[in-house]
Amino acid sequence: MARVDRTADVVVAGAGYAGLQAARDLVVAGLDVVVLEARDRVGGRVFTERTASGAVVDHGGQWIGPTQDRLRALAGACGVTVFPTWVTGANLEVREGEVHPFTGLIPTSDADGSADTVATLLDFDLLAQEVSPTEPWGHPRAAELDASTVAEWVAAAAETSVARSLLATATLAVFGCGPDELSLLYALAYARSGGSMSALIRTTGGAQEERFAGGAQQMAEQLAGALGDRVVLDAPVVAVEYGPDGTTVTAHRTGPERREPWRVGARRLVVAMPPATQGRIAFDPPLPGARDQLAQRAPMGSVTKVHAVYDRPFWRDAGLSGQVVADRGHLRATFDDSPVDGSHGILVGFIAGGVDRASEAAGPEGRRAACLEELSRAFGSEAARPVEFVEQRWSAEPFSRGGPVACLGPGVLTGCGASLRTPVGPVHWAGTETASVWTGYIEGALESGERAAAEVVAALGAGA
Amino acid sequence: MATAEEIAEAYADWQGRCNGNARLARMLRGWDRTVHLVATDTGDGFTISVAGSVLADLRHGLVDRPDLVVSATSEDFADLFWGDLNPSDKYVSGEIVLAGSSEDVLRLDAMSMVAFLDQ
Repeated sequence: MARVDRTADVVVAGAGYAGLQAARDLVVAGLDVVVLEARDRVGGRVFTERTASGAVVDHGGQWIGPTQDRLRALAGACGVTVFPTWVTGANLEVREGEVHPFTGLIPTSDADGSADTVATLLDFDLLAQEVSPTEPWGHPRAAELDASTVAEWVAAAAETSVARSLLATATLAVFGCGPDELSLLYALAYARSGGSMSALIRTTGGAQEERFAGGAQQMAEQLAGALGDRVVLDAPVVAVEYGPDGTTVTAHRTGPERREPWRVGARRLVVAMPPATQGRIAFDPPLPGARDQLAQRAPMGSVTKVHAVYDRPFWRDAGLSGQVVADRGHLRATFDDSPVDGSHGILVGFIAGGVDRASEAAGPEGRRAACLEELSRAFGSEAARPVEFVEQRWSAEPFSRGGPVACLGPGVLTGCGASLRTPVGPVHWAGTETASVWTGYIEGALESGERAAAEVVAALGAGA
Repeated sequence: MATAEEIAEAYADWQGRCNGNARLARMLRGWDRTVHLVATDTGDGFTISVAGSVLADLRHGLVDRPDLVVSATSEDFADLFWGDLNPSDKYVSGEIVLAGSSEDVLRLDAMSMVAFLDQ
């Protein structure tokens, strides 16, 4: 292979939680590791920022829930504390332009529709219990389940338009895409990997239960800090040559020490990124067809995450939790995202799926105006005057290409799923999309990094 | 604190609402189970049987082998059956504890939620 600028036992491509976890495990095993990260920061889809007004916001992944034990242990080891998501007070359901307060998981303004929602969610979760999160394509009816979209299944299972609307909102909030874009089999496996769809959509008792004081990126920074100069920022991987003897990974370094291309020779490579960004890397020889098809057929969800920052969490005075579930508009789901000390009031919301794509033309100002109007309808006129309004448009991020997760349509898991984790020669796959637990979440990223590192150590043996 | 008689009275009310609910009947189809209720403060035990989509009368004492065990305070059981508390909230906050297979826990959580909504 061609001249290289550096050699290592293993290259890890991507310094999100998956790549950092893999790198840590490989270093612990005594292997020489180089982590190539495309951005000027680590954390991937987890990105904490102090805004102009001094608020700390998580632009990406931010919550931790029950059974996310790897993440909890990591936070503990890093000295990062967690605190409960604010849930005190009434949630608000916005349906057909009317605002209705409710408590609990499911909006209650239409009792029959709510009961139908619970019944349909139960049917979904009972079906999900039958699906292996590791090999969903092994289900006896996999072909049938993978031929259907979630929308088609809900249309048959639910008896009311309220249930169909609420479950569409849940899909948008969880996946960043509508139920008509998602394979039923994929959604079932995804829900099963976190326990159930009920667990994914719950705040208390579910995936949104707690937050990290100071933000969710801190643990990534500490992992990277411990890896030291093994982590190379501003170094997007653009090409991979591989063969029986190992791999040569080419990055286009874009930082101050610009020296492109920059080539690292290694015995193994861990690709720790979503399939959609992996698909932009030129592999030589080309990847097996099923793997390349997977990369083409795993589009990212479309999501813009917005934060409205206020002097104080004024909605709490009115007995409101800050949680909204809406059947239309830009913001279908919001949460109270204020810091634990209440030094600011912050509402976080998601513009997702087709609405997110359609809001491209409106631009940041148009999206801001639309979001503030919707927040005012729910929380009163004070909501129209934030100290600051920030958005993170993940759809336009070249190194994530969307968020929060890949959204597989019908036929992809049964057609290409088996290639999701299967190594190709010296190339191993990590990233939350490849996880068997909490797929799509930080916990899943950590699990995938552990698994990929274990594969590499098994193949190479521990280092000296 | 609620006495065994108060819990039985509240249950009878809840049972009437559940057995008259078509959506619950759909959710209970094929789900024949024995459920034990344990009041954590008084130590009282009760048994509920579900068969053929119908909730049987409450039996005092822990009878037969349970598929599911529900633990809560006597007051919470009474409030739950009267429809005064949202069972889902109590379950996720850990004040009501459900022990059983994941399928049975999902089902009981959902059916108690539907019964709560139907009032």
